Amino acid sequence: MALNSVLRLISVLMVMLVVGLIGFRISSSRLKKKGIEPEKAVPQAKLQAKKYSLIAAFLYMVAMVSVAGLFM
Amino acid sequence: MKMMYGMLMALTPAALYAIYAYRLQALFLILTGVISAVAAEAIFQKLTGKKITVKDGSAAITGLLLSLAVSVSTPLYALGISAVFGIIAGKQLLGGLGKNLFNPAMFGRLFYLFVFPDSILPWRQPVDLTTAATPLEILRETGSTAGVSILDQFLGFIPGTIGEISSLMLLIGFAYLVYRRFVRWRIPASAFATVLVLAIIAGQNPLFHFFAGSLMLGACFMATDPMTSPRFEKGQIIFGIGIGLIIMSMRWWGWQTPGEYVFTEGTTFAVLTMNLFVPYLNKKFKPSRS
Repeated sequence: MALNSVLRLISVLMVMLVVGLIGFRISSSRLKKKGIEPEKAVPQAKLQAKKYSLIAAFLYMVAMVSVAGLFM
Repeated sequence: MKMMYGMLMALTPAALYAIYAYRLQALFLILTGVISAVAAEAIFQKLTGKKITVKDGSAAITGLLLSLAVSVSTPLYALGISAVFGIIAGKQLLGGLGKNLFNPAMFGRLFYLFVFPDSILPWRQPVDLTTAATPLEILRETGSTAGVSILDQFLGFIPGTIGEISSLMLLIGFAYLVYRRFVRWRIPASAFATVLVLAIIAGQNPLFHFFAGSLMLGACFMATDPMTSPRFEKGQIIFGIGIGLIIMSMRWWGWQTPGEYVFTEGTTFAVLTMNLFVPYLNKKFKPSRS
């Protein structure tokens, strides 16, 4: 497996991880403000965070493929 | 489950033709895609303590669709890793079948295009396996569809991904899905209608566009995934029109990647982009009870 491919693989996983973590914090604080109990808020926030991380991965990959000269 | 196995049946003609056209390498690609997807789903569900659902056939479909959407030059490890990513990120991360945001096969394919762009080339001619340009690359280079035989495109004597080359085999499979009522036919119908109108406006042969690239495979088998396509009629039509518009704009303008692969086909981007609008389309076009 080429080094370029390894770097691309790691980069997409990092984007998902970072956006997921940020998304979780934002979602859980929003749900807290709405007054939802933490027991219910955590699974909801986790699901939201996963959605954000998937959308970020999609946008990141499309952007990188379309402006590939920046990265490839 | 009936529908899933119906889908596998429908993809069989295209898979068999791929094996005929590209010999053992196509068989290995198909086996790698299916086994990787099924194993990834089973292992992920086992590790997360969920019920193992590989018998429903959905993971096998994802693996098969993904393997049909790669070129014969693809290394097996690249396909295997892409199938694992498609299943875990595209499907299992949000809770499995029915909860996924994106079509897992398409998500895996985007990952493949992003991580392994070097492995796409060279395109190979079916049967004799010589290196050749795809019809869409010819369109890009010459600006015309005249140099490509429509009959060759229809029968499957043009280079492309292993499952997209024979429109005839894909249409046989799609006809079976329509006959069994396993498919939301309005989506491919509106996608093809959009392509038809745009091709006529541009003065190009619509049949060329129907049979070129992965429009047939994507619109008939991937965009119609019941989990990631709109439930209601109007939503399905808009979904299909969106796919047709994005595909044609990609074919005309595409994305130029300096020194590397030129993306002349946009089915992956079209289906995934339209997947994002599915919750909105379902909400907007939900029939009111009166």
